[in-house]
Amino acid sequence: MSAEAEAAGNGFNIHPMDQFVVKPLFGHGDIGVFTITNVTLWMGITVLAIIALLVLGTRGRAVVPSRSQSIAESIYVFVHKMLEDIAGKEGLKYFPYIFTLFIFILVANILGLIPGAFTTTSHIAVTAVMAMAVFTTVTLIGFYKNGVGFLGLFWISSAPLVLRPILAIIEIISYFVRPISHSIRLAGNMMAGHAVIKVFAGFAGALGVFSVFPIVAIMAVYGLEMLVVCIQAYVFAILTCVYLNDALHPGGH
Amino acid sequence: MTDGPDPKRLDALSKKLEAARQAKKPVKAEESHYTAARVGWQMVTELVVGLLLGFAIGFGIDHLLDTRPWFMLIFTMLGFAAGVRTMMRTAQEVQEKNLTKDAKAAPIGKDKMYDDD
Repeated sequence: MSAEAEAAGNGFNIHPMDQFVVKPLFGHGDIGVFTITNVTLWMGITVLAIIALLVLGTRGRAVVPSRSQSIAESIYVFVHKMLEDIAGKEGLKYFPYIFTLFIFILVANILGLIPGAFTTTSHIAVTAVMAMAVFTTVTLIGFYKNGVGFLGLFWISSAPLVLRPILAIIEIISYFVRPISHSIRLAGNMMAGHAVIKVFAGFAGALGVFSVFPIVAIMAVYGLEMLVVCIQAYVFAILTCVYLNDALHPGGH
Repeated sequence: MTDGPDPKRLDALSKKLEAARQAKKPVKAEESHYTAARVGWQMVTELVVGLLLGFAIGFGIDHLLDTRPWFMLIFTMLGFAAGVRTMMRTAQEVQEKNLTKDAKAAPIGKDKMYDDD
């Protein structure tokens, strides 16, 4: 098989990164701030899908839920419980925010798995905005709740006085590390999985009969992607809860 | 009509249940595998991001003050320290989580052990 693959050599037509190109939907030309692109389209579809699930799906308000209502309810309860476990009762005030984040990432990720779809969460521009929103919110909540005392998070009183300014700088940098690593991780995970599928698909086109193997591999990777997609949404939400908890109770855990 | 549950059907059902439980086990193992990989990736990204962030801050200060490369060097090191710090914190959190999980699972077995002694 490998000999044949080598023989095909330049015949391979693999462009794994083409699927991440942002294009304007109408006409050609430069992409400005308000250009409607495929990202806009798929974000819109994400929002519509969420509305369909949460608003239309639960319209019946049945005691014995229909299938869509039961999905919506179990997601709701799942996020609610997660937030309560991590950030306690005070954290529940911020439930709408966490839930919005979770459901948006989850649905955007799942829609991205539809063949031919555009994965909005594979772009750092998208995930970084979400991470920055979380970061700003949590920092503001921290200052609002604890006043200037929130800065105590960076001032390690157990260290010798000479070292404290240096440690403060280190602490401040490490405070910024996590939101960035967050957004990189979410985007990277989505991008990597989709690129791998595309590469296998490129093999399948060039191998003739032996394309069975790449197709089986695609199925396996696709199954893994289903798992990754849900876990990434979960991880993003759970880490937001952890930040929130840090901001609400700095120092003491 | 028959009276009471049919023992044959009950047996079949319990066999089915057992099979279903068995089928679930490997999935769990795989999931924990994946979790380990995820934690690993999280630590790696945190380390690298810390380093890059420190470098970027230093580079920015140098750009403003025309002192290249001094702040770049200092802040890259500080950034590295921050990355390690974040990574260690993640490791600690994972450890704590595992400990509480073990503590939750252990007590029944432990009590028995103490009773025997």
